Amino acid sequence: MNPLKKYLFNERNGNGHALGPIQEIDVPMRRFGEEEVDYVVIGVGSAGGVLLQRLARAGFRVLGLEAGPFWNTERDWVSDEAGSHNLYWEQLRITGGTHPLALGANNSGRGVGGGSVHWAAFTPRLHPSDFRIHSEDGVGIDWPMTYEELKPYYEQLELEMPVAGPAYYPWGDPHGYAYGPHPMGGAGDVLIQGCTKLGIGVSIGGPVAILSGSHGDRQHCIYRGFCIQACKVGAKASTLITHVPDALRSGAEIRDDSMVSRIHVNKENRVTGVSYFDVHGQEHFQRAKAVIVSGYAIETPRLLLNSACPGHENGLANSSDTVGRYLMAQAGNVVLGRFHDLVRIYKAPPAHALTEEFYETDSKRDFARGFAIQTVGPLPIAFAKQMMTAKGAWGWGLRRIMMDYNHWAAIALLGEILPWPENRVQLAEAKDRFGIPVAKVTFGLHDNDEKLIEFGKNKVIEVMGAAGAEEVVQETRFAHLVGAARMGTDPRTSVVDKYGRTHDVANLFVCDGSILPTQGSANPGLTIQALAARTGDYLIAQGESIFNTNHRDMMQPAIRRDLAPPGTYGRGVPRLANLTS
Amino acid sequence: MDKAKMQRLELQRVVEMERPGQSLESEGLDAIEAVDEHLREGRFQRGLALLSGASSLLTGLEVGYEHYRGSYSRRVMYTPVALSLLLVAGAAAGFMSRRGARRVLRPIAALTLADGVLGFYFHLRGIARKPGGWRFPMTNMVMGPPVFAPLLFGISAYLGLIASYLRREDDADHPADDIAWIPRAAHEHHWTKALPGKRISKPETITLSQDLREGKFQKHMALAAAFAAFFSGFEAFYSHYKNNFRYKAQWTPVVLSPMLIAACIAAMRNRKPAHTWLPALSAAAVVDGGVGFFYHARGIFRRPGGRKHLLYNVLYGPPILAPLLFSACGMLGLLASLMRRES
Repeated sequence: MNPLKKYLFNERNGNGHALGPIQEIDVPMRRFGEEEVDYVVIGVGSAGGVLLQRLARAGFRVLGLEAGPFWNTERDWVSDEAGSHNLYWEQLRITGGTHPLALGANNSGRGVGGGSVHWAAFTPRLHPSDFRIHSEDGVGIDWPMTYEELKPYYEQLELEMPVAGPAYYPWGDPHGYAYGPHPMGGAGDVLIQGCTKLGIGVSIGGPVAILSGSHGDRQHCIYRGFCIQACKVGAKASTLITHVPDALRSGAEIRDDSMVSRIHVNKENRVTGVSYFDVHGQEHFQRAKAVIVSGYAIETPRLLLNSACPGHENGLANSSDTVGRYLMAQAGNVVLGRFHDLVRIYKAPPAHALTEEFYETDSKRDFARGFAIQTVGPLPIAFAKQMMTAKGAWGWGLRRIMMDYNHWAAIALLGEILPWPENRVQLAEAKDRFGIPVAKVTFGLHDNDEKLIEFGKNKVIEVMGAAGAEEVVQETRFAHLVGAARMGTDPRTSVVDKYGRTHDVANLFVCDGSILPTQGSANPGLTIQALAARTGDYLIAQGESIFNTNHRDMMQPAIRRDLAPPGTYGRGVPRLANLTS
Repeated sequence: MDKAKMQRLELQRVVEMERPGQSLESEGLDAIEAVDEHLREGRFQRGLALLSGASSLLTGLEVGYEHYRGSYSRRVMYTPVALSLLLVAGAAAGFMSRRGARRVLRPIAALTLADGVLGFYFHLRGIARKPGGWRFPMTNMVMGPPVFAPLLFGISAYLGLIASYLRREDDADHPADDIAWIPRAAHEHHWTKALPGKRISKPETITLSQDLREGKFQKHMALAAAFAAFFSGFEAFYSHYKNNFRYKAQWTPVVLSPMLIAACIAAMRNRKPAHTWLPALSAAAVVDGGVGFFYHARGIFRRPGGRKHLLYNVLYGPPILAPLLFSACGMLGLLASLMRRES
């Protein structure tokens, strides 16, 4: 084919693996077979994808085991609400407690890329205050690190995704974004109008990990609104398209449809490998010099608890009895308002504007910590469910509301819920198709959480009213899941140290959302990936000593910007920080 | 005495004959007539350099925020911003000195012009990369990168390039400086001497630059104005189409630009429209651009958040500087109508 024509008209080769309309990676990848690898990463999601990429690029022999499939985005993703269920972890789980969590669509992922395949891609950073809420507000627990330690990784991942947002973001530690802001959809306009009327600051067009300009072999956003049904355009960042291609090119292997059932520990208290079931239900043993669990807040504690063995009777790395405890969700009440004019809420990424004006603890309020207000963009099925809950709409009434869909706007609360030991993941009696006991999730709110939700919900309703809504309703719900294998300095009250290494087993790591000790009112995706890059740098700096010794070196590693995927630099809004890095 | 030297002497004689500016002050012409005289004689290097710098500043700001909207996602997207700033500096150099005009402004303007063409290619490709590519030209031109904007950006560079060939306003007072810069025949340039074969020695090779020097490039300028009106009018067409021609005033640049183009073409064929239709329609375009600027500003303030989120609303509101670029096309037309025709 004429190369100019191919370049100009963007004709595909057709012999690669499609990860979007113009992105492809070559298969086959490297295969380790039965031989021992350096690292097994269990779960190739937000954290696992970044870890694989970093470790492979640094030259380690690294294998990712993923319970779900490796997507061919052009073939497997359907841009349809009802048809996107295979993106979620919909295997059996038991939920309970005073405020049982709905498990599935918005708080789990399955398949390479994990939850980052169907996240809305809001990527605010945590505030510096989030790292010391116990010292400042007397609630929760402090992080074993400061914001400053994580900050370079925030900046780094914002370039690697890259994140679009305003040139100046005023809350927390003020900063700007690499890619320009997105245009507003109907929900964003409502949030801006309401906030401007009430004198509340609002961040327009991000921060969101969706391309506002093309990036290498990825297209920019075309605002068709199917972000959380997985972005076929390739504009929304997921580790499947940001980090996994480079990981494979650097020599990593990903075994998809591989469900890990147990981590094995020998008499010297060192991990020797993992057992997993392949797609045919055949069990295998994979030897590894070290293991990283990146299964997210439910599957990570489930695997650790299921790996109980002599010396770890309560579950692996659970001498503190904190594995599974301190599970957190965020308050995610959705407020819907009907407007006289058409809103057309679907015509934009769900995530495109937010305010963090109420993020910090305010002494005038009767609760600690705060919340953010963000745009959401429910598509018709989600909208119908919300209307059913919020208005009791059913039958012909629901049908009439659905015909009115284009007149409704939705914005949501994102409120911090504190970590409580009784909110936890345990093992249930029931077993999955491999015979592995499933997780039982117990969740309940405490006084501070309920006060925060009540205040935040009313504030969102006030904003919706100020924007000119004729009718305002709300649905109580929760978003995100973090905690359940938290990090800390004290081995008696935490599972892992600040680099994700378990206190109990020297070559076993946990790196995903479950290690967050507290969660702030920020969507956790960026923080999870930043922590993964940092753990990656630590492992690379430690080198062979992870495999040979039980010595625990807590030295802060230097950030390895050279290990970023190619094409990370030299793009984006010119900033002094870009030029100096 | 060889042929080239003879040619050069001949040229000197022509230049001296055609310079009535010697007696300009003594005749007591007022300022407007003096400017007119300068234009007719191509003695407006400083003025055109200034115009080039000003329009370059406008396009630089425009491309600055438009590429910000595209997130500077390719390295090449930095170049027009950097070059337009450089061109402003080059224009300043051209304003300050004759040497600056030829040694600084000219190469920068040429580079910027080339960058405009390169940008045109990348914008074509950007449209091709959108879903469906050129199979859906209208949709993807409306939704993709503005296809003619890079060429419109080249217009200010073109002005700078022209300016570098002009005479200076005060050349009449310093004939010696002026003659020193008389263009030489191509074969006198040392690099052509290195070429094998028969050397070009026709005097025609220097007519264009000679005509430019003397302000005799009306047709040339009318053509440039026609191109600029096409680029700007086409941009107005699909941007206003994107907005469904919600306001009647959005039709004006779309209607006016073909008329202006027609006037430019008529002026190229014939002397008369160059003094009637061309200035009339050009003036209308200048005014229309001003009105458009007002409406675009109003549109920005009317967006949610209005003045409070000004940067964002400039970014995603109506393109604030685009109507002024349409005015600039009118300015080109006016300039053309004031020139002399090519010899």
